[in-house]
Amino acid sequence: MRAVPKPECEEALDRLFEYIDHELPEDEIHQIGEHLKQCAPCEAEHKINEKIKRLVNRTGHDVAPEDLRARILTTIRATRPDGAT
Amino acid sequence: MTDAAEFDFETEALSYMDQLYAAALRMTRNGADAEDLVQETFAKAFAAQDKFTPGTNLKAWLYRIQTNAFINSYRKKQREPKRSDADTVEDWQLAAAAEHTSSGLASAEQTALDSLGDDEVRRALSELSDDFRMAVYLSDVEGFAYKEIAEIMDTPVGTVMSRLHRGRKLLREKLRDYAAERGLYERTPVKKDKDGGACRA
Repeated sequence: MRAVPKPECEEALDRLFEYIDHELPEDEIHQIGEHLKQCAPCEAEHKINEKIKRLVNRTGHDVAPEDLRARILTTIRATRPDGAT
Repeated sequence: MTDAAEFDFETEALSYMDQLYAAALRMTRNGADAEDLVQETFAKAFAAQDKFTPGTNLKAWLYRIQTNAFINSYRKKQREPKRSDADTVEDWQLAAAAEHTSSGLASAEQTALDSLGDDEVRRALSELSDDFRMAVYLSDVEGFAYKEIAEIMDTPVGTVMSRLHRGRKLLREKLRDYAAERGLYERTPVKKDKDGGACRA
């Protein structure tokens, strides 16, 4: 079954990333939120994009190698900005 | 007073080391380059620390230094990324509206996404062009606001939005492909109109 988007759908889908990223003013958040409650295909899009955002979020938690901090400290202490050596 | 300010700067800046390293890994796509990039970032940050205004966003300031360092030194060294998906400002809004698929297809896609591992997501990200990958990373992993990403990437907010839209669309296609390769998701031949939209009226 193919769902034909209405103008409200187009509006919601155009703003979906801004909605997910919390970039919209209150009134638009409310308006889109209300639409998503009533429109299954738009809500499915919302869910999928939110899920992908969470998947990407999970990939960013690598920890720097042990010795990196020591090497950074050596570098920056050798080049003090106040000119002291 | 100066001593205290300097001490704070060092402690504060270094508290972002792991985050900068994770971002550097995504940028350079290899551990050795990522370490060099983070070291260069801190060296530059410390040399320029008097240009930082305490109380403003130190994390965004460090990311901006790292992004510049990446663009200026590492990107040149690496093989030129394919520019086919570079961010010409296109009709991503039309493209977004085209995705309005039937709920059956959408729930199959959601199920498939649930079965993908972090490695596949990393691989998909690594296949995006630098600008798309960074915009998506800065938003999704670091939670930077569009305005902050614009400052970090030194580009207008509109370009950030375009990079996010196009980057995420490509990412989604790649994830669908991986899921299909593993038999997790069947690419149902959706009847498409001539613009490739699944269901535009």
